Amino acid sequence: MPNHHMPQGSLSLLVLRVLEGGPLHGYAIAQRIRQLSGEVLEAEEGSLYPALQRMLLEGWVTAAWGVSETNRRVRFYTLTRDGQKQVKREIEQYEQVNAAIRSILYA
Amino acid sequence: MDQELADEMSAHREMMTEDRLAAFGSTLRLREDSQAAWGWMWLERLWQDLNYGRRSIARDPGFALIAVLSLAVGIGANCAVFSLADTLLLRPLPVPHPSDVVTLGSRDLTATTSATAGYNILPASYPDYRDIRDRTTNFYGVVAYSFIRTGLAPRLDAQMRLRTGMQVSGNFLDVLEVKPELGRSFRPDEDQVPGRDAVVILSHDLWEQEFGADRSVVGREVRMSGIAFTVIGVLPERFTSIDQWVRPAFYVPLMMGPRLGQAADVLEGRDRRFFTVKGRLKAGVPISRARMELAALAASLQKAYAATNKNQTMEVRTELDARIKTVPANAELVVMLTVLAAAVLLVACANVAGLLTSRAPARAREMALRVAIGAGRTRLIRQLITESLLLAVAGGIVGIGVGYAGVLLFRQITYPSDLPLMITFDMNERALLFSLGIALLSVSLFGLVPAIRTSRADLTTALKAGAGPATGFRGFFGARLWGRSALVSGQVAVSLVLLTTTMFLYLGIRASLAAGPGFRINHLLLMNFDPSVAHYSAAQEHEFYKRLVERSRSLPGVKSAALASFVPMTVDIDAFSIVPEGNRLPRGITSVNVMANRVDENYFETAGIPLVRGRAFLKTDAEKTQRVAVINEALASHYWPGQDAIGKRFSIVGAGAGEWVEIAGIAKTTKYLSTLEPPADFVYLPYRQNPPACCMTLMVESAGEPAALTAPLREVVRGLDPNLPVYDVRTMEDFYRARAVQVYQIIIQAVASMGLMGMGLALAGLYGLMAYAVSTRTREIGIRMAIGANRGEVLRMVLRQGLVLAVSGMAAGLVLSTGVVRLLRSTFPGDSPLGAYLAVTPAVLAITMLAAYLPARRAARVDPMTALRYE
Repeated sequence: MPNHHMPQGSLSLLVLRVLEGGPLHGYAIAQRIRQLSGEVLEAEEGSLYPALQRMLLEGWVTAAWGVSETNRRVRFYTLTRDGQKQVKREIEQYEQVNAAIRSILYA
Repeated sequence: MDQELADEMSAHREMMTEDRLAAFGSTLRLREDSQAAWGWMWLERLWQDLNYGRRSIARDPGFALIAVLSLAVGIGANCAVFSLADTLLLRPLPVPHPSDVVTLGSRDLTATTSATAGYNILPASYPDYRDIRDRTTNFYGVVAYSFIRTGLAPRLDAQMRLRTGMQVSGNFLDVLEVKPELGRSFRPDEDQVPGRDAVVILSHDLWEQEFGADRSVVGREVRMSGIAFTVIGVLPERFTSIDQWVRPAFYVPLMMGPRLGQAADVLEGRDRRFFTVKGRLKAGVPISRARMELAALAASLQKAYAATNKNQTMEVRTELDARIKTVPANAELVVMLTVLAAAVLLVACANVAGLLTSRAPARAREMALRVAIGAGRTRLIRQLITESLLLAVAGGIVGIGVGYAGVLLFRQITYPSDLPLMITFDMNERALLFSLGIALLSVSLFGLVPAIRTSRADLTTALKAGAGPATGFRGFFGARLWGRSALVSGQVAVSLVLLTTTMFLYLGIRASLAAGPGFRINHLLLMNFDPSVAHYSAAQEHEFYKRLVERSRSLPGVKSAALASFVPMTVDIDAFSIVPEGNRLPRGITSVNVMANRVDENYFETAGIPLVRGRAFLKTDAEKTQRVAVINEALASHYWPGQDAIGKRFSIVGAGAGEWVEIAGIAKTTKYLSTLEPPADFVYLPYRQNPPACCMTLMVESAGEPAALTAPLREVVRGLDPNLPVYDVRTMEDFYRARAVQVYQIIIQAVASMGLMGMGLALAGLYGLMAYAVSTRTREIGIRMAIGANRGEVLRMVLRQGLVLAVSGMAAGLVLSTGVVRLLRSTFPGDSPLGAYLAVTPAVLAITMLAAYLPARRAARVDPMTALRYE
């Protein structure tokens, strides 16, 4: 069972990253994050949807209603051009911060 | 958005397996989180605050009782005054969107109105009305109406009864948006041809009284003034009247007026300004635009019809404006009582603020404790304000009871008449809402400052202060008490103003009632006639009146009998615009509007009005002789000051213009409209030279009980014309009591109760402050006594401090009073306010000293040993 929470601020990066592979609905996003992290990271519903709302407002993703593989009405989120740029920016930032943390931890 | 999110999440949840469901929790809570739905928290916190507040108030029931009673008195006084204001001025017209309905009409720019020469209404002539209706664009519609009195019988063969109704323009109901309950409104063509369409719409009242609420009444014929009218509709109950006071029994088209006894030329003469005109503004049209349009129309009418419309401007008034201008005395009364009630409320709020302040030290510790365990300051202020709100709402509820007592008092105001009047004082939902508003206002007056001060309490000082209130060697004006001292002084000041005002009014009213109105009150019977109902010709009318007076006088028990078009103290005033000979009017003014009475030769004797100079009218002052008048002393001194006005002349604007009227006599100035009016100009004219437009009153002076003459006099009238209805039969004594005496007694009672309430509240405030101060100074007093002060000295010391408060308050109060009394003297009688000051000041001083004495005596009885062990 996954029991690790997201490091702060990383959720949007992960969501954007997952969406680079193509449009997904919310539940699928959560599942992908879980799968790709080897069931270590869990995108909780309570933070996933507010984060998606924010991204919609920022214009990084667009949303369209569709039908899921299990025949439910869901919203599919698609990465925009702005979103693609944002992924790059956030990865860069993440690398910088990660390097900084590492240099402290293993100094 | 909200819904989409909810759908999306429920889809998410459905997609999850059973075991994951528990981990994710409820959709609802998550939705709340993602929308920051903690907006509901305030309700929960309010509930908490209310609970704390209730407990905190219940802990100190004495405080709560005094606070609630103080507020109840303050709010109740305002509630009562509001219901008076509502009846006299504010109540909206009983039509949809009443605020769009405005009053239009003409005003003579060059006519001045002598003081209290009656009512400043905006009348309009029918031709002017037609122009307003057809040539304006800012109104959805414009209507005209006037009252009409006629005999009405529910069936063609039944006995007629005198009824007051309205003749209205055909669009009346449509423009006012009143839909008949039964039948239909007037059709446009029913208002086109004079005398053609004999149709009538019944008021709800008449339909119930005369027709037993029979729903088949539409289409039936009724007899009015001898003519068959077809009932076409019945109005709904809620449409009582477009007039503020009189409920019409029926409505007929204006074009039928001439057939119901109205003069035929009323519909044609541009100078026959007898109609009230109201218009409904189109949606969104500001009244200023309508005013400009009417002014422009008036200007073009001035050019087109110089003979009749010269100097006539046209005005637009809101309903409130029109009501204020119609009877300014009502507005003055309302303003005066509102100011008094506001003063009472201020004193009440000062009381509660004082009480809250003396609770502040104790509360400060509680607050400090709560701050210490992490409460925010805004939260504490909110808590304190919630408590104040609780007090105010409780005060408001009790206050409504106090207000109702006031309403019961005002309900005694009556106007004895056969007219279906609606002078209704009640506690309607508007009064309740107003009281609630006042309660909330009072919170901001008494609750806010103490709340902020208490919550600002310094944490450490408050917690260290220990069990008792902080004591120190401070007088009343020490840092902590000066605010409360100022409040108490202010209370004494305001209540002194209240009491001097009351006393001033009381003395003034008592003096004018004692002086009498200047005419006979006892042994006088009044009886009204409206010969237009009987369709008399001018000659027949004269003959009828002549015989009526002759036969009345020959009745046993009758000393004299007279005719008059106006009875003092009634509201049916008669007025003329006159132009005194020679250039006696101010620049730009060409005529003066003066109240008038058309009387016969016996009037002055019967009414008991003495002539100062010259002669009364004679039988020979008739149509073909020199026109004469009797004026009162006030008018004589205004336009012929320092001269003998006998033989001087004036002309009358309008009827018989150009002819001089010679002054034959000067009568003593009496009261005309109210006991309290200042001396007003007045002119008497012989009725034979100036036939009245409508009705005359027979005045009979009796040797014995006047009411006993009612039956024989009715017999006389029946002998002359069995079809002529008699109305408003009353003795002058009854009428005068109801109109002149009772109204003022009620005003005095209202004013006096406010004065006493204010004084009572101020005394409670003073006593409370003194008692509190003494209790905080017990230790100091003990020390003083231990080192040799005797009881007398302590008593004097405390009394002195009370005296400083009382005297400074009274000084401020006297200064304020002179201002208030000066304002009052412009509307109310009273020679010198000195009497009022002399009566009130010592009394207030004595009572305030008593309020200070009781705590002072307690201070003097302090046992030094106990006092030193205190705490």
